[in-house]
Amino acid sequence: MQSTQYPSEYDAIVRTMQHYIEGCRHGRSDQMRGAFHPQSSFFGYAGGNLVTGTDFLFHWIDDNGPAPGIEPRIVSVDILETIAVVRLEVAGFSGKLAGADVRMSDVFTLLKTDTGWTIIQKAFHWH
Amino acid sequence: MAERNAPQRTLESWKQIAAYLDRSERTVRRWEASEGLPVHRRRHQKQDSVFAFRHELEAWRQRRIDGPAEDGLPPSTREVAGSGVSSYLLEHDAITRTMHCYIAAAREGNGELFRPACHPQATMAGYCQGVEYSGSMEHVFAWVTANGPAPNIEPRFARIEIVETIALVHLEVQKWTGRLLGAPARASDVFTLLRVNGEWKITHKVFHWQD
Repeated sequence: MQSTQYPSEYDAIVRTMQHYIEGCRHGRSDQMRGAFHPQSSFFGYAGGNLVTGTDFLFHWIDDNGPAPGIEPRIVSVDILETIAVVRLEVAGFSGKLAGADVRMSDVFTLLKTDTGWTIIQKAFHWH
Repeated sequence: MAERNAPQRTLESWKQIAAYLDRSERTVRRWEASEGLPVHRRRHQKQDSVFAFRHELEAWRQRRIDGPAEDGLPPSTREVAGSGVSSYLLEHDAITRTMHCYIAAAREGNGELFRPACHPQATMAGYCQGVEYSGSMEHVFAWVTANGPAPNIEPRFARIEIVETIALVHLEVQKWTGRLLGAPARASDVFTLLRVNGEWKITHKVFHWQD
């Protein structure tokens, strides 16, 4: 990728990620669904149990409700032409299911489609 | 000069590795692909040659005899106690062993060698000649087999990042040939792995074929 392209691709990726973050903050999966590819997957451990599938994620976000104090930080954005990797750390997660002041580490992979950058996978670790 | 009398430290072919482990070549090749038998490769103009270190084979054999820990932790974690070896290195090595199933599958043109490295629900996505492919990892198993052998592939780990129970691997592969690819091609792949019952399993592969 030409170095001049990086800033605009970076900004587009961050805009996609922002939909996810706002969905978490407000406890509304409808705000983040559009950022996910129809074939996207979801993997990780929650309370020691392996959970999979974006349906689980979206239901969890709605059931967890608002998490107004989340502190998201983008650790890295790597772009390889049509694919990208975003490392996200979220501190201060709260809510009906999350409890209080939980930290989550995420690895997102994204695919650049005709409609822009979409999340193709989210893998996470609860601390 | 004492080294001259020391036993040969390396085994220089599949035949020697098989003889050392008292198994067939077919079996030890399968062990490399599915059980992480530590086999190394030297790059040559035409075809790579393999070699293995006796001490690594012994360590691998010992881990295999020990079996998985009852506490569900990976054997690598147990070995840390008293050994002075950092758990990071052991997790890193366990991840590269899983990744070598993919590399072995690509080299041999046998997608089934890759299957044991993947979570049953693993998925993939990316573009091939401008067409988007996304769905089950079964597509990758089938494609690798249909493409056939690629004896000269050169894999390089551009990045391995471990975040507790998840890991990220950026693999660059060049000189990938075969029935479907034709001329040597270069692929950029990002794999996401999950530690399941003490083993690293691939849950996702996203790829980009470089022009």
